[in-house]
Amino acid sequence: MPDAVVLKNLTKTFGETVAVRGLDLVVPQGALYGVIGPNGAGKTTTIRMILSILFPDSGELQVLGHRSALEAKDRIGYLPEERGLYKKMRVAEFLLYLARLKGMDGAGLPRQVDAWLDRVGLLGAARKRCEELSKGMQQKAQFIAAVIHRPDLLILDEPFSGLDPVNQRLLRDLVLEEHRRGATILFSTHIMVQAEQLCDHVVMIHRGEKVLDQPLSTIGSSFDPRSILFEPLDPAADVSVLHHLPGVRGVAREGSAWDVALSETAEAGEVLKAIVTTITPARIEVRRPTLEDVFVGIVAGTGAGAGSAALRQALRDEDAQEVGR
Amino acid sequence: MKKTLYVAAREFTATVMTKGFVFGVLVTPAIIAVVVYFMPRMMNRTPPKIEGRVAIVDATGRVARPFAEHLTPEAFAKAREDARRRIAERTEGVRRSVSGTPGASEAIEQSVEAALGELPQIELEVLPADADPEQAKSLLALAPRDRQPDPHQRIALVIVHPDAVEPHGQGRYGSYDLFVRAKLDDRLVDHLHDGLRDAIVAARLHAAGMDPSRAEGLTEVRRPTSRTVTAAGEAATNEVLNILLPAAFMGLLLVSVITSGQYLLTSTVEEKSTRVVEVLLSAISARELMTGKIIGQMAVGLVVLGLYAGLGILALFSFAALGVLDPMLITFLLVFFVLAYFSYAAMMAAIGASVSEMREAQSLMTPVMLFIMIPWILWMPISRDPNSLMAIALSYIPPVSNFVILLRLTSSSPPPMWQAWLAVAVGAAGVYVLLWFAGKVFRVGLLMFGKPPTLGTLIRWARMS
Repeated sequence: MPDAVVLKNLTKTFGETVAVRGLDLVVPQGALYGVIGPNGAGKTTTIRMILSILFPDSGELQVLGHRSALEAKDRIGYLPEERGLYKKMRVAEFLLYLARLKGMDGAGLPRQVDAWLDRVGLLGAARKRCEELSKGMQQKAQFIAAVIHRPDLLILDEPFSGLDPVNQRLLRDLVLEEHRRGATILFSTHIMVQAEQLCDHVVMIHRGEKVLDQPLSTIGSSFDPRSILFEPLDPAADVSVLHHLPGVRGVAREGSAWDVALSETAEAGEVLKAIVTTITPARIEVRRPTLEDVFVGIVAGTGAGAGSAALRQALRDEDAQEVGR
Repeated sequence: MKKTLYVAAREFTATVMTKGFVFGVLVTPAIIAVVVYFMPRMMNRTPPKIEGRVAIVDATGRVARPFAEHLTPEAFAKAREDARRRIAERTEGVRRSVSGTPGASEAIEQSVEAALGELPQIELEVLPADADPEQAKSLLALAPRDRQPDPHQRIALVIVHPDAVEPHGQGRYGSYDLFVRAKLDDRLVDHLHDGLRDAIVAARLHAAGMDPSRAEGLTEVRRPTSRTVTAAGEAATNEVLNILLPAAFMGLLLVSVITSGQYLLTSTVEEKSTRVVEVLLSAISARELMTGKIIGQMAVGLVVLGLYAGLGILALFSFAALGVLDPMLITFLLVFFVLAYFSYAAMMAAIGASVSEMREAQSLMTPVMLFIMIPWILWMPISRDPNSLMAIALSYIPPVSNFVILLRLTSSSPPPMWQAWLAVAVGAAGVYVLLWFAGKVFRVGLLMFGKPPTLGTLIRWARMS
């Protein structure tokens, strides 16, 4: 079974700007991949190249076993980041039109459109013009357009942006349903919680380059911050004594709590016991990295365990680069 | 191909089902038809009667009397008769065409009568030769009482120069000055000029010892209507149709091409600005999208062309003048429509794809519109002299060639057929180049946002893709 997407050394430039640089990526069939990265990292450009909307300057790609997505467009569903509908077209008409462009036909097509509209709670809007729909409704209509032809590969660019929590959950369930059906799913986001909730493999792109490509389950061990979060029961307790405990590299305040950094060789369980016996804790836990920690850590170039001040600075730097780009 | 046709079908229905299209393309010709129908009937109303006095200061003493003869009701009636005869000669073809239509000849007579108006009632007032011109003129400036015709109101003043009849000095004759009241009917002013000319010439002939009526007989040659001889026989030359036919054909071509091209531009800009284009490009290639849009709008252009051409044919049929239409010309109209449309549509697609809103398209549209308007600007010189070097040269410069060659083909002296076919070949080559260029720009431009591109940017995109 060929992989759903294979990118080899893909590069794309716009004038002086290198949007994607030497990108390698393999998405196996049936996988649920999340592509994360800060704004302007090159996620959308990568997706557009996978879809043959843009063409790479160099490198090779393969989509569903073809050398170009143009040869497999009917097997691909796409929800772009920039949502677009024909304002004056009626919702059902719009979906019929896009379904036909995706190779669907036959007398049963209008019924399928109605069934999908019903599923996302838009059946009543079938005869409405697209411009009459709210932003969330438009997004749901577009999602239908992306999946109505039951694609083998579903690419979603920032699918949850602009949706309220109820609709976010509805969309997430629909995506998971498509995945269970057997579709390969590749979605991009810069909201880490969504990636953590949905995908089983994470690829991170930063400044056009891939900086992370691994299963979500292994990220915890790869990016262990090696620190303990500790909050004393008595806020006035002398925390400086913790500096002298074996295996402790340093102690730094973090709001009402303290971040206890561990040395390279320290065993987290032993240090935790030692802290508890030294000062009575109100709260104590061995830190586990969130995807956001990993993301910000890589952006900042400081690793997953960077302190909040360093992360804030990293984000400021990133924003400054965005503005200058 | 099926997907391209889906795009074309959507493009067509999305355009023709709009109020703008229905109003612009269907209602406008209906309004024109109504105006054309009612205009002659509205003109049937009697124009205002002209009454008043024409004063003359005749220093020669020999012009006033013959001039007075030109202001009698009989003289006005004779002038009207002459005008009626001239109109009858000019409209002979039309009269013959409508001879089978009940009431048509009467309608023409009515229109002619209406256009000529009621006979003026003019009285000549001869002022002394030494009358003060300024004082005489001052009466012209008085406002008419109650806006009603006043038979005593002075409406014009003629001052005949002392040397108008006998030359003064070096054998050169003098003339006259004519002063008129504001807003005096221009037909009366023309009549006064004609009368003064005739009166002065008659006085000069008298002074030279010649008989004016004999001189008039010697100098008058009746102008006959030319007759066109064809294999089918001979008929009066229809000069009006000779001028109107090329203009009508080129007008049809321009209106249909520009209308559909504009719709293509608008829909492309809309798809790009609403970002729907990215969804489309995930389903079809840029080439399929552009081809579908161009085909869809070509169907719109054909509807416009068919509608206006149908109205024209209907008009010719009702005037029994269908014979002026050569089926070959209709064939060429369709061929050049396709060529002109593809050229224009390619440019519109490229411009539409490269800008984000209609406002930005204006700067890129200017050179394109200039190209399209050249045939309009040069319509008269080309149809007057369809085989001039300029006309021949423009016949081979696409996309102008498509309009110019059609203009020449419908003119009174059409070019040889090989020139027409050569223009078709050149036009087709132009279409190929423009579509190639547009395809490249379309693909790159559709996903480009930001500052509007220049022509140089478009060329760079074409080389880039």
